[in-house]
Amino acid sequence: MTTVGIIVNPNAGKDIRRLVTPATHTSDVTKVGIVRRAIVAAAESGATRILLMPDRHRLAERAADGLDLSGLDSSGARRDCVIEIVDEPLTGSRFDTIAAARRFWKEQVGAVIALGGDGTARDVALGWPDAPLIAISTGTNNVYPSAIDGTSAGAAAALVASGHVDIARVGRRSKRVTVRIDDVVLDGDEERHVSRDDLALVDLAFIDAQFVGARAVRDPSTVRAVVAAVATPASTGLSSIAGRVHPIDRWEDGGVLVRLGGGDGRRVRVPLAPGSFTTLDVAEVRPLALGENVEIVGKCVLAFDGERDVPVSERGRVNVRVDKSGPLLIDVEATLNIAARDRRFDAPSHSNTDGDHHGH
Amino acid sequence: MDLSVDVQLDLHRRMVRIRLFEEAAGRLAESNRLPGFLHLYVGEEAVAAGVCGALNDDDHITSTHRGHGHLVAKGGDFNRMMAELMGKATGYCKGKGGSMHISDTSLGMLGANGIVGAGSPIAVGAAFANRYRGRGQVAVAFFGDGSTNIGAFHEAANMACALHLPIVFACENNEYGEFTPRDKTMAITDIVDRAAGYGMPGVIVDGMDVIAVHEAAVEAVERARSGGGPSLIEAKTYRFYNHHGVQNLGLKYRSDDEVAMWKQRDPIFTLEDRMIENKAATRDQFDAIWAELRADIDTAIAFADESPYPTPDQIMVGVYTSMTGAQ
Repeated sequence: MTTVGIIVNPNAGKDIRRLVTPATHTSDVTKVGIVRRAIVAAAESGATRILLMPDRHRLAERAADGLDLSGLDSSGARRDCVIEIVDEPLTGSRFDTIAAARRFWKEQVGAVIALGGDGTARDVALGWPDAPLIAISTGTNNVYPSAIDGTSAGAAAALVASGHVDIARVGRRSKRVTVRIDDVVLDGDEERHVSRDDLALVDLAFIDAQFVGARAVRDPSTVRAVVAAVATPASTGLSSIAGRVHPIDRWEDGGVLVRLGGGDGRRVRVPLAPGSFTTLDVAEVRPLALGENVEIVGKCVLAFDGERDVPVSERGRVNVRVDKSGPLLIDVEATLNIAARDRRFDAPSHSNTDGDHHGH
Repeated sequence: MDLSVDVQLDLHRRMVRIRLFEEAAGRLAESNRLPGFLHLYVGEEAVAAGVCGALNDDDHITSTHRGHGHLVAKGGDFNRMMAELMGKATGYCKGKGGSMHISDTSLGMLGANGIVGAGSPIAVGAAFANRYRGRGQVAVAFFGDGSTNIGAFHEAANMACALHLPIVFACENNEYGEFTPRDKTMAITDIVDRAAGYGMPGVIVDGMDVIAVHEAAVEAVERARSGGGPSLIEAKTYRFYNHHGVQNLGLKYRSDDEVAMWKQRDPIFTLEDRMIENKAATRDQFDAIWAELRADIDTAIAFADESPYPTPDQIMVGVYTSMTGAQ
């Protein structure tokens, strides 16, 4: 059985940044279209089972609605592909993505397609750290995911899941920021020590704030420090701070720590959100070797991959390192190139229209 | 932007005022001391408080059939509100409007509205007047998810965008139109998906988090005030009580588990817990605020009880406008 899993974050591409910047709005209809194209292409390319994450917006149901994936494969053999929406309790939050990724892991899915921004890819990694992943950008900051059409993503996912293209040739282990938080919280009138492990796939930022609020980091003066695993000047968002002072390629070993505030006088212009630039004072730029630990203490809100998420008290300690334990990122173009060279797309000599798959 | 403690306490006070007013109104209605329908805003406080906390006193809002919360958040007077709900002559509308027509133009509150969707075009009119007068005022249209299926909403959104008016569309998406789940009446889940169709930005915020709502409202209001045009905020929220009253008709259109899940996210207690953790306030401080505002409610109920009903000779007074007193 060749199984492909598809996750679509219904909440991606709709947050407050659309008010303060020209960030793109990604509608449900757009997402449904991408998923539908991915389903059809995956079936066309050898998937026999497609698992979809359930969601409160019913995007998965709408994407699969009316699709008949029975037919012939490219060799002319009869083959059916079933679509299943996995049975998981819904929360309407990012925990749906985490649960779906975990479920896909359990179901031994051969490749996962995830639609969202950096935060969605992070949630996939939280549910399945080693996920063989194609991340499609439908979010706000899209450093980790890429702009890939659903058709190409679906085909590549099925080719990898079926083993027709060896994942060892097209999958690369991505980096991540591994985070350990030790803190003291109030539980009624009692103080309680808590520890938690977390991760970011692009960057972890320390924000001078009291609340998670609308999640996006909009006030540049509140950014105290950023630890980035990927920092490219071609990106937008918090990682662009590091990207514009010390670029770190997606595949380059190591990361970078940037502390902001008064320092050596260096100032840098950064696109903190799409189409929105600001000037920041850089206090310290410190390259980090893989596995090198950084401890930052004190009150803040931690922003993972661009979104405020975890408040830390003044007694909190956050230990961070960049390591190479992120998902196995599938190179879609390389996958399709190998398949083409292997003549995986060749049709039988006598074409049979019964085998056509259409998504409309 | 990190909110000052004063702003946090202001948002908290607005929410507690709404909660206490609505709980009191609910008790009075259940004991047949209030006439007519009563649509309670309990659970949705963060939306009205977060948005109105971003407005100036002379900014305008239009409301819905579930409108008490909007007036309270804009600074409405408990005495006059409670008297209006009881149909007394000392009420905001001299006892003739009741729950669904309550208004205070001196606060820029242009009225609750018994007609679903009818508030949005009024807000567009206010926004047009505000720009025409050049006083820098902004209008906010509060409306529910169900009203976006009404033609008036679409006409209002289109005209606001075509004329680039200083307006914020504030959608309270509580997932139900009366007793009908949203997914039975529309093919989309996020109202914000409609914003792009008119050419305005739209954002989703957690409507149970007053800080999140306020952050978005500050940006949207600033955008409107500075000439950036309309925008739409969709706050995902939930009403803790039924469509009207407390027990309503006893219809089971929502599961107990669903209601309980949303109640766990009570916007007031969530803010209090966070502020205490941040050492921005203490439990004693919050207890004092609740006690102070409860006393205000008791005063308002006594005021309304003791107020007279309007007399028959007043039947035509205040019913039609002279067109000279608009704010």
